[in-house]
Amino acid sequence: MSLDLTIRDLVVKTREGRSLLTVERLDIPAGSRIGIRGPSGAGKSTLLFAVAGLLKPASGTVAWGKHLVSDMGAAERARFRRENVGLVFQDFLLFEELSSLGNAAIAARYAKRSSRRRIVESARAGLARLGLDTLGGRRVDSFSGGERQRVAVARALANDPAIILADEPTASLDRASADLLIDDLAALSSETGRTLIAVSHDAALHARMDLVIDVVDGRPLV
Amino acid sequence: MVPEFWSEFWYGLPVVAQDALWFVFLLLPAILAGVAVVWSYRPFSLVRAMIWRYRWTNALFVLLIAVSVGLGVGLIAQERGIRKGTARAAEKFDLVVTAPGSEVQMMLATVYLQPVDVPLIDGATYDAIASNENVALAAPIAYGDSYRESSVIGTTAAFVTHLSGDLTDGRMFQAVDEAVVGARVPLDVGDSFTPSHGVGDGAEEHAHDGVSLRVVGRMAPTGNPWDKAILVPVESVWKVHGLPLGHRPERDGQIGPPFDPDYFPGTPAILVRADQLWANYALRSEFTTERTMAFFPGAVLSQLHGLLGDVRQVMSVMAVVTQLLVAAGVLAGLAVLIRLYARRLALLRALGAPDRFVFSVVWTYAATLIGAGAVLGIGVGLAAVGIISRIVTARTDILVEASLGWPEFHLVAGFVSLTVLIALLPAFAALSRDVITDLRS
Repeated sequence: MSLDLTIRDLVVKTREGRSLLTVERLDIPAGSRIGIRGPSGAGKSTLLFAVAGLLKPASGTVAWGKHLVSDMGAAERARFRRENVGLVFQDFLLFEELSSLGNAAIAARYAKRSSRRRIVESARAGLARLGLDTLGGRRVDSFSGGERQRVAVARALANDPAIILADEPTASLDRASADLLIDDLAALSSETGRTLIAVSHDAALHARMDLVIDVVDGRPLV
Repeated sequence: MVPEFWSEFWYGLPVVAQDALWFVFLLLPAILAGVAVVWSYRPFSLVRAMIWRYRWTNALFVLLIAVSVGLGVGLIAQERGIRKGTARAAEKFDLVVTAPGSEVQMMLATVYLQPVDVPLIDGATYDAIASNENVALAAPIAYGDSYRESSVIGTTAAFVTHLSGDLTDGRMFQAVDEAVVGARVPLDVGDSFTPSHGVGDGAEEHAHDGVSLRVVGRMAPTGNPWDKAILVPVESVWKVHGLPLGHRPERDGQIGPPFDPDYFPGTPAILVRADQLWANYALRSEFTTERTMAFFPGAVLSQLHGLLGDVRQVMSVMAVVTQLLVAAGVLAGLAVLIRLYARRLALLRALGAPDRFVFSVVWTYAATLIGAGAVLGIGVGLAAVGIISRIVTARTDILVEASLGWPEFHLVAGFVSLTVLIALLPAFAALSRDVITDLRS
């Protein structure tokens, strides 16, 4: 399954009504690898959260294929993310007391009974693909930063999503770990035709993207 | 209105079954809430990980619940234990005859050995009681002397046997200078002592100098203040006070009944035991005269307990109110604790976990802490009643054996149900938080 992203006249405001992000028109074909960069506070993460369906825009539309995310209620958006989106965060956001598989397969805890086994198998395969299958049942708080972020990537992939959204995925990693992760993300996208959108300051990551969009003062320069 | 078939069914059940059903009924809201909230999800290992993450904070929270529950449980168990203990201490005292006065004061003096100055019952009265055809045992109880912490009571061998059965050590007193000691008197068989005149701080230590009594036996424990008493032949008490010995001169040396009314110096109280239960009532009215007062210590005690019944209700209400306050505290505590997990909960919601799953995680976390606190609280309650019972027993010499019973388990079940239902509130509150704000925090 591949989903094109279409954004029209999107406006995101703070609760107080201040404008955070304005996107008049943005089209991203399915399977693209997109980098987003810009100064701090420019609205990069807000754009990522808007396309993830984590926030409700003040106006305009965000659509992934036929899924009009901007019109959905919170529960529907959660379902959309559950079924179509994999998220990776700067500081991993893992449950430190769980094992790598416990984290990667976390979606199995709230998935439909019929898809639990598939999620666990997929998480296991993802961990193996990322070279983490030898770490066994150790709790992830004993892992290095690079290993933790790869567990987070395996978690993002466990439900076989069409979209991977990453917020500064290499910012907490040393150079070597960051390069390995960039290789993994790029490969995972190109091998399976997933759309990858990554907010990052990392030029090495930008170099592996199909397109890099600059966001300045709450507007993407496209 | 309760349907008739229901009340017939209910009152037809054994008491244990009624108590057990009440327990289940009180716990049912918690169980139903748990099933409804967790249904079709698997939040448990996640909750375990969350609890472990802030284990010391969570442990402290559990401990606070446990101490609160333990104190509530201990309070009502202890009250019941004391009530039972005092009642058991009076069991052996069927009917007591004394000079007219306050029944409560006489009961305290005779059953619980709290000294009091009272007029004596004369020989003719004693003789009338002892020779009544329905009386199986009429024993003088002559208090007033002491040795250290122990009251020295003059009585008869039959009363000693009535009170504690066979002796655990030695033999019964057979002469005026012999004594049998209670189970907890720090004197051994073979030891000698000199009694003081009076009891407690006012005792005159050297009033009976030259008198030496020898311990010849030890009673089995009775669980009442008589365990610390020293029992001597009543003739011994009369002798040390320079009074006639209760028998004609030609029967000098006799110990125990029958006594001769002309030589009977008097006794502050007489324990009367009838051969038939009904006869006790006849004897009470017979011996309620201008010169004597007859009363059932058990009845006086239950009057006192009845008076204290209101206090008991107040205590029960206090225990429940305390638990309600604890529940409110638990709510406030949970609201704070759940903020510790705000970022992880926001993560779950960002990943697309349904609200009901996040709700079940928060609620299961709260219910686990509450449940652990309640179970630990029962342990704290057990320990508390054990310690307090020992202290009360040591202070009053009344054996108090408090143990946890159904009322305590009912209280805990009600507490658990109430608090886990209250815990739904912070679970709802967790869902109203802004995901992006918490993710960035």
